[in-house]
Amino acid sequence: MEFTKRYEQLNGKSQRIDLLTSIRVNTTKISAKKLIERLEKKGVTLGKVPFLENGYYIEKSKVSISALPEHLLGYYYIQEAASQIPAELLNITKKDIVLDCCAAPGSKTTQLAEKAKAVIALEPNEKRRVALLNNIERLGLKNVIVCDQDARTFKPKIKFNKILVDAPCSGNYVLEKGWFKKQSIKNFKTRAELQKQILENMINLLNKNGQLIYSTCSLEPEEDEMVIDWALENFEIKLEEIKTIGDKGIINPFGIRLNNEIPKTKRLWPYKTNTQGFFIAKLVKK
Amino acid sequence: MALQNKYSRVFHSKIGEKMINNFIAKFTKEKIPFIKVKIKYFLENKELEEISKQLNCKIISASLFLGEEEETFKPSLALLEILSKTSKEKVFLTDIGEIDFIYGRKKLSKRHIKSMQGKNRRKLVQNEYDENLGYCKVVDEINIKNILDCGDFLRREKKSKTCIN
Repeated sequence: MEFTKRYEQLNGKSQRIDLLTSIRVNTTKISAKKLIERLEKKGVTLGKVPFLENGYYIEKSKVSISALPEHLLGYYYIQEAASQIPAELLNITKKDIVLDCCAAPGSKTTQLAEKAKAVIALEPNEKRRVALLNNIERLGLKNVIVCDQDARTFKPKIKFNKILVDAPCSGNYVLEKGWFKKQSIKNFKTRAELQKQILENMINLLNKNGQLIYSTCSLEPEEDEMVIDWALENFEIKLEEIKTIGDKGIINPFGIRLNNEIPKTKRLWPYKTNTQGFFIAKLVKK
Repeated sequence: MALQNKYSRVFHSKIGEKMINNFIAKFTKEKIPFIKVKIKYFLENKELEEISKQLNCKIISASLFLGEEEETFKPSLALLEILSKTSKEKVFLTDIGEIDFIYGRKKLSKRHIKSMQGKNRRKLVQNEYDENLGYCKVVDEINIKNILDCGDFLRREKKSKTCIN
């Protein structure tokens, strides 16, 4: 498939970038100030990611940051900058019980747990759960329930005020070598069906005025704006404006006119934001 | 206290509970409240117990994982960290000792060890900031054997696919 043309039609580019490694400070264990000082002594220089609360770029490092004692002690999580945005947009407080419906490997689960009263993390894949459980233990979080549960069929007795749907997606070219060769529109449409099934169940589990963040690391409208357009068409929800980096969501991908609210979503083109490709929408139940 | 909902078969083994309590007693007199889900132990969190009753699904873990029963009790690194806050059974390592220990070196000797405290043979292994790195068996005054170190997080992660998202 010719992605160059496809992305040009979306007013974007498939331009490669050198993605900076970033981390998130686990403030339940250490302050950013102390971590910066400790890592500096080991030849690691951190630079603040301007659009994140606890996100830092690794500007210089003489060592592997995944093998440092501070990483193993749970003082930080190696997490790409764009991936840190969705959890921040839920404005979590200590009163919130948050549902994270596609949880492994746990970057966003652990990010939510730092601020929430409790996090319910759904992950049906046993292999993927290894990383999730590992990260919860390493970060020392005492308020996470991990469930062997598919998000599409989850039927709890309670509803939620805050839900994160970081949906399974086809990814993007920044994260994976040879990504363009592996992908097809058919793949995107298959993924979109799964994403809609998950989103439908999660909207049903949302309280009135409850907030839901839908995010993917895909740049394909079939998995992003078009999924949200479908949700706006079929459920009692509205979109809320998002204040973060990135472009407005595309209202007419490939000439298809979508809902007028779609520009309230955010689309992160790697060559513009210096992050991986990302899409975020904030839904509120009417 | 057991964490229950209709999907998780929960049982209480007194032998198992004795195992975790005996392990904790080797390091501290403090009681650590726990719940048990099958053969695994978790730090007690009453709020999570109440929430879990509402979930109608199979619960894999709730709160901090403390360890599990195998032939003997196998502690988690999270439990060792909790114990290190009150325990006096400790070995303090040098900088080199810290790196060698977390990279899985089985035996550590004089150049790795800064000091030791306590009387038991099982000791918590600490770095210069008194942060827990794992635990060990003391061979003699200048030699210890690694039983579990926090490099295990990395080794487990390598077995499963890593993702930066």
